[in-house]
Amino acid sequence: MAGLISLMILISLAGALITFLAKTREQARTIALITSGISLAITLLIFSRFDSSNPAMQFVESHSWIPSIGVTLKFGLDGIGMPLVLLANIIIPLTVIFAWGETKQANRFYGLILLELTGVMGVFTSLDFFVFYIFWEIVLIPMYFLISIWGGPRKEYAAIKFFIYTHVASLVMLLAIFALYFNALGITGIPSFDMFGLLKSYQVMDGDLIKGVISLKDAVFIGLLFGFIVKMPAVPFHTWLPDAHVEAPTAGSVILAALLLKMGGYGLFRVILPILPYSKSPSIMITLMAIIGVVSILYGTFLALAQRDLKKMVAYSSISHMGYVTLGAAALVPLSVSGAMYQQFSHGLITGILFMSCGVIQHSAGTRIIHELGGIAKYMPKLTFVMLAGFLASLGLPGMSGFIAEFLVLVNSYFTLPTFVILALFGIVFTAGYHLWAMQRAVFGTYNEKLGHIHDGANYEIASMAILVLLVIYFGLNPNPVLNMMTVNAEQLLKYVVLRGVIT
Amino acid sequence: MNFNINFAILAPEILLTVLAFVIIIIGLLISDKSKNMLGYISAAGLLASLVYVIGNGMTEKASYFYDSLVVDPLSQVFKLIFLIVSLIAVIASIEYFKDNRNQDEYYALILLSTVGMMVVASANDLIALFVGFELASMSTYVLAGFEKKNPASLEAAMKYFIIGSLSSALMLFGMSLIYGITSTTNIPGIIEFFRSAPLMAESSLGVLAMIFLVAGFGFKMALVPFHMWAPDTYEGSPSVVSSLLAAGSKKMGFVAAFKVLVLALVAIRADVQFTFAILAIITMTYGNVVALSQRSIKRMLAYSSIAQAGYIALAFVVTTPMSIAGGVLLALGHALMKGGAFIAVAVVGYMVLSDDKNAKNIDDLENFAGLGKRAPITALGFFVFFLALAGIPPSAGFIGKLLLFYSITVQAISQSSSWLLLVVIIAILNSALSIYYYARVIKYMYVLPPKGEKIKEPTAYVVAILIAVIGTIGIGLYPEPFIIMAKNAAQVVLGV
Repeated sequence: MAGLISLMILISLAGALITFLAKTREQARTIALITSGISLAITLLIFSRFDSSNPAMQFVESHSWIPSIGVTLKFGLDGIGMPLVLLANIIIPLTVIFAWGETKQANRFYGLILLELTGVMGVFTSLDFFVFYIFWEIVLIPMYFLISIWGGPRKEYAAIKFFIYTHVASLVMLLAIFALYFNALGITGIPSFDMFGLLKSYQVMDGDLIKGVISLKDAVFIGLLFGFIVKMPAVPFHTWLPDAHVEAPTAGSVILAALLLKMGGYGLFRVILPILPYSKSPSIMITLMAIIGVVSILYGTFLALAQRDLKKMVAYSSISHMGYVTLGAAALVPLSVSGAMYQQFSHGLITGILFMSCGVIQHSAGTRIIHELGGIAKYMPKLTFVMLAGFLASLGLPGMSGFIAEFLVLVNSYFTLPTFVILALFGIVFTAGYHLWAMQRAVFGTYNEKLGHIHDGANYEIASMAILVLLVIYFGLNPNPVLNMMTVNAEQLLKYVVLRGVIT
Repeated sequence: MNFNINFAILAPEILLTVLAFVIIIIGLLISDKSKNMLGYISAAGLLASLVYVIGNGMTEKASYFYDSLVVDPLSQVFKLIFLIVSLIAVIASIEYFKDNRNQDEYYALILLSTVGMMVVASANDLIALFVGFELASMSTYVLAGFEKKNPASLEAAMKYFIIGSLSSALMLFGMSLIYGITSTTNIPGIIEFFRSAPLMAESSLGVLAMIFLVAGFGFKMALVPFHMWAPDTYEGSPSVVSSLLAAGSKKMGFVAAFKVLVLALVAIRADVQFTFAILAIITMTYGNVVALSQRSIKRMLAYSSIAQAGYIALAFVVTTPMSIAGGVLLALGHALMKGGAFIAVAVVGYMVLSDDKNAKNIDDLENFAGLGKRAPITALGFFVFFLALAGIPPSAGFIGKLLLFYSITVQAISQSSSWLLLVVIIAILNSALSIYYYARVIKYMYVLPPKGEKIKEPTAYVVAILIAVIGTIGIGLYPEPFIIMAKNAAQVVLGV
């Protein structure tokens, strides 16, 4: 008996395959929209039935797959995965609407977008490490093609860099997963890739990877962490991101920033936090994560300030915003962790608006270089409105979702990581700075006559951005529908931390 | 001895042998034009045999002709492999050899080579094994040179023939030495003898016999350093025949090795395993490294075939049920992936020749540019086969490799042996390396612009490719029954 989650995954997969076979562009985009719509409807159904006060896995389903080595198709949702599945199902239909005008190889384009949906939903719901890894890798392939076929001038370089960078990181993660697996196999004698079982077996892992240099525990921890922070991405493993974003088509950028980066953050909450208290030296690992977080926030901000290309600026702002996720996770205070989770959800919505804005400007004005633009508000009033809303949300204006997330992270992280929070606070000033400065130069002021006559974004483009703006405002005013479940799960995660006395 | 034998289980072999002769006779009687139907008849015969083998249960056990042929899970798995490969090759040949006036001989030879391979799979006696080997080899020598006017095809056949004869001679010499030591040709009898007298096996004569056998089988398996013939033969032969050679006849060496070597290995001593580990690693590394620089796709596939043989040979390193099962499963997967890939090359050849009648180097990488637009099903086939060959889930190639690597790791941990772990790491790095040359072709197919119009892919090719695609992905998606099948075969191998 298939449950709702596998139904959702199967529908998007089937939709993707049918879209590939579609004969015309009209068919392709219609099927893509219907499929993602059905998937969204199922998600909303699950969401409405979801019990946010229960930290346990819900809607659990389990199908035997390869019993010989202990692989089970096991899916479930809790307060960590649910909001991200919701996010994926909000972003994908809106991306399809936004990219409604795509003409080049439309059947493949929309098919790949649906395949991304399948992949990320699989990642966010799998409770079996093996299946998790398969979905994790499935996500890479459509994105590689989205960049390398529909991308900008340097698309091939960007696509292959993206692929190799994140693939190598996943392989390191895979090695760590196998280390966990064989460790558990040695203890219980029963082959199993069950995620919670393996994470639990980490507690009793011992031995050295290389005697006297690094213990197996540390190696596994760092291997897993590496897999996730490259995906997030955190400085210093971020260099694939700006290239990929600059060359990717708008739809690809939106999916990359709104969903793929979230996989890294999801890994932190799902995998890293449960094993953190049992690692050989938790305090060093916490410091390491906090440093990575703060450096990402500050370095991302400063690089964003220096960019000439609007889209590259947005890409660096993503790095900076994802830094809050790492920082909040490292702080290990229930509300900082749930703030970090909320940051993931909120950033997914906001960054969608930002990248879509860049796409509309590129399409209409023919350039994204900030100083070649100027005063486009005159001819693009609708775009200016939604774009300004997106930029304000991104810089953390109260009343919008970004504010709540960053506020929670900064205020609550102060209890455990005061120095890092004070450093991160400097980032806020500059974040506001580069957002407003870019708006001022590119959108407002006197019109740059060299651009000629430009037209406003198409209605379907503006509509999908406007929906995102409304959601950002809604979740900024009423975060509870998703924040509650996050907090419940964050508290449950941190119980073990307190028990182990890692922090007081 | 029981003379009241039930031959029903041997029906596939009997059917195919009879069919081969019937086809030759029909070929004499009908006009050249109507010979196209022979392909359909052969395909029907193979399909019927395939259905019979599957339907008869893969766990059947029986013994024939004074114990010289046996039917057991091991033989059934390999019969399945040979029948699938021949079926795919024959379906594709319906198009490839359309309107060729020698079709009757062609199909008869394919059927006879299939029977030969099946006899090898069932052989329980060195003589039966050798007869099967020769039947399959003789038929495929002719098949490799079937394009009589194409010098490359003739060269391929010649090389294959000379090397093949040499390997037969080596094998036969090894067998005669073994007969001299043990005074029996019955395989279980030989094992029994070596078990009871291990000193004989370790004598210089016993070691020499083993070396000759390894060399003889090694040529068929195309293990380094016995691989030299493979790239030239696969490149020069008609693509459909390359498919049969790489996917089918190569597995003949593996089933023989499973029967003779593994049993002997278990009986004799452990440090031969080290030799096999070195052989496997050198083979896979050599295959992958050389494949990196190939621009001819058939040669690339040939070298990747060598690399895959290296992975399968890992099964001999630890000889646990799991590792043998992995080897069997990878052999099955490889049959589908490589068989399909060579057929897909045939479509590219068809496409290039329909652009330009006198085109040279038809399998050059350049001709793959924009294949995703020109021949979408073929390109999809390549995409699936290449990802599967690289071991990306969910595919048969992935499951096979997974079981192999997994079983060696388990052994490495339980024996806390670091060199076994090193073997696994090298094998995984090899897999990663291979992604490069597969991905390059995928890039050509999907990213680069096409050089011509979209073509209509011939139905026969499409059917053959789709069978292979469905098999490759199907095993990947639902591997458990195949794992059980392979484990049953492994138990036969290990005599448990």
